[in-house]
Amino acid sequence: MITIPYLTALTTYFSYGLLFAFGQFRDFFRKIFDWWRANNLQGYAPICLGLEDFYIRRLYLRIQDCFGRPIASAPDAWFDVVERYSNDNNKTLKRTTNISRCFNLGSYNYLGFAASDEYCTPRVIKSLKRFSPSTCSARVDGGTTTLHTELEERVANFVRKPSAIVFGMGYATNAAILPVLIGKGGLIISDSLNHNSIVNGARGSGATIRVFQYNTPLHLEKVLREQIAEGQPRTHRPWKKIIVIVEGIYSMEGELCKLPEIVAICKKYKAYIYLDEAHSIGAVGKSGRGVCELLGVDTADVDVMMGTFTKSFGSCGGYIAGSKELIQYLKYSCPAHLYATSMSPPAAQQIISAIKVILGEDGTSRGAEKLAQIRENSNFFRSELQKMGFEVLGDNDSPIMPIMLYNPAKIPAFSRECLVQKVAVVMVAFPACPLLLARTRICISASHTKEDLVKALEVISQVGDLVGVKYFPAEPEKQEQLKEMIKMD
Amino acid sequence: MYVRAVPPTDLNRNTEWFTYPGVWTTYILIVFFSWLVVLSVFNCSPGMAWTIVHLSHFLVTYHCFHWKKGTPFADDQGIYNRLTWWEQIDNGKQLTRNRKFLTVVPVVLYLIASHTTDYQHPMLFFNTVAVFVLVVAKFPHMHKVRLFGINADL
Repeated sequence: MITIPYLTALTTYFSYGLLFAFGQFRDFFRKIFDWWRANNLQGYAPICLGLEDFYIRRLYLRIQDCFGRPIASAPDAWFDVVERYSNDNNKTLKRTTNISRCFNLGSYNYLGFAASDEYCTPRVIKSLKRFSPSTCSARVDGGTTTLHTELEERVANFVRKPSAIVFGMGYATNAAILPVLIGKGGLIISDSLNHNSIVNGARGSGATIRVFQYNTPLHLEKVLREQIAEGQPRTHRPWKKIIVIVEGIYSMEGELCKLPEIVAICKKYKAYIYLDEAHSIGAVGKSGRGVCELLGVDTADVDVMMGTFTKSFGSCGGYIAGSKELIQYLKYSCPAHLYATSMSPPAAQQIISAIKVILGEDGTSRGAEKLAQIRENSNFFRSELQKMGFEVLGDNDSPIMPIMLYNPAKIPAFSRECLVQKVAVVMVAFPACPLLLARTRICISASHTKEDLVKALEVISQVGDLVGVKYFPAEPEKQEQLKEMIKMD
Repeated sequence: MYVRAVPPTDLNRNTEWFTYPGVWTTYILIVFFSWLVVLSVFNCSPGMAWTIVHLSHFLVTYHCFHWKKGTPFADDQGIYNRLTWWEQIDNGKQLTRNRKFLTVVPVVLYLIASHTTDYQHPMLFFNTVAVFVLVVAKFPHMHKVRLFGINADL
């Protein structure tokens, strides 16, 4: 539930209307200007139809310097951001050789494995020397090394499923698996705020897609009942298969999925469940095993569990875990397994070492410390932000916290002001999120120390006052207590 | 002072913003303020100002709702490329609350414009043509209909 002040909603619509009107004006004059000038592409079809690139040209390019900032070091708690400048009002950006050391609040570095780690990095370098950076082959040809088989066993063990299969790219895992699991005549019911990879995979599968309201099990039940009663479109025959796709932690909202209720509903109506744990694997749960452990759901009830290694494990790639028959079938038929190059061996070694650290198999308790640290950091940061009066989304224990901005002009203002004060944050604007609900998304890591977080809070509070995003009333007395705490430390 | 925004189930980011609270008020406020601006810039009678507002409203909404097709971004891979904004709204369902509101607004503007100009002749003709075109374009039977091939696809 997002609570918007009414006046802010009105001003946001008005701002977007103004931006849109200006964009149309400029396009109109650009068309006249171009018609006047001859061009040598007579007879060719235009590359972009209609107004397909309108948003990019007229809205995104104006604030382009807030997105896609190049970095010059590993995405640890502090990293180097390359400075850029523009001579033509942000249409093109030129890199300089200056770098500024900023505090990283944007990388998905939940457990701190993004930078050099004392256990993982020596082993990764050893495997790089032994196996070379790429297998140069698909899994079925010559690309399955001992590392890949060991990784699949360890992942299946970690997630508590009978077996698993890994792929070289997380996005491609979703986009290539869904067409294999379901086809025409099947039904996919997906949450309305699912990630683009799931949407693309579902569209590519050819099945009918229905959407249920974000994280609302009652609406899911309503949609399921309606669809099962109606059957396939036009012929009204029963559906061949029904898959319900949900995510563990939603990356734009930071909220946990209501998994127990959804699993209960799916069991009642005999639909399969596909859980995408991209952001929750390794980051939540007592031993880092994801939302199933956190919410107490038996993993045997979830039919297909998917996840990625980019967030908590500091590597690349994705996995699917399920029953032995399912994984065997995927090995015969999934194009990402048959034709795509297999995962890079050092990356696979990084994941194996990271899993060992998380489970404590390296002989130290660093894994448990990291998990406790990220939980503490997230809860501390979120409660402090809420006390200052920001509108922060997300549940407790979730390391993702979006701060709502709403107005389009506040997006570049917040981003640039924070960068000046050496805090790097990530902005999320339309169309990645709904038009009205622009936000900045903060990702907390286990490698953030308490002092760094307190300093970042001060910066964000100052910038928040300047930009005007403290939509809720702050709690003044506790602010004084925080200042006392900082003085005592 | 605060309103709750429930994320709708519309996957089309181009039209989903219309289901959030505050849109109708913003629309009405923009029309009203443009009337004030026209009055102060052109120094004409209030009736003439309403006629100008009504006709420019006709041009702007016809262009945006019924002429331009597709979406302003390329993320949806062009599945809405043949549909105008009016046909995309509410996923193609007809006679929803939003559609009814958008059909009533030009009619109300027409009534105000004709009343304040005392139904005099040249303005009345243009106002009537404008409202006729707009309301007919919004009929449920006109969903995906292209008369005489106007605005049909390439």
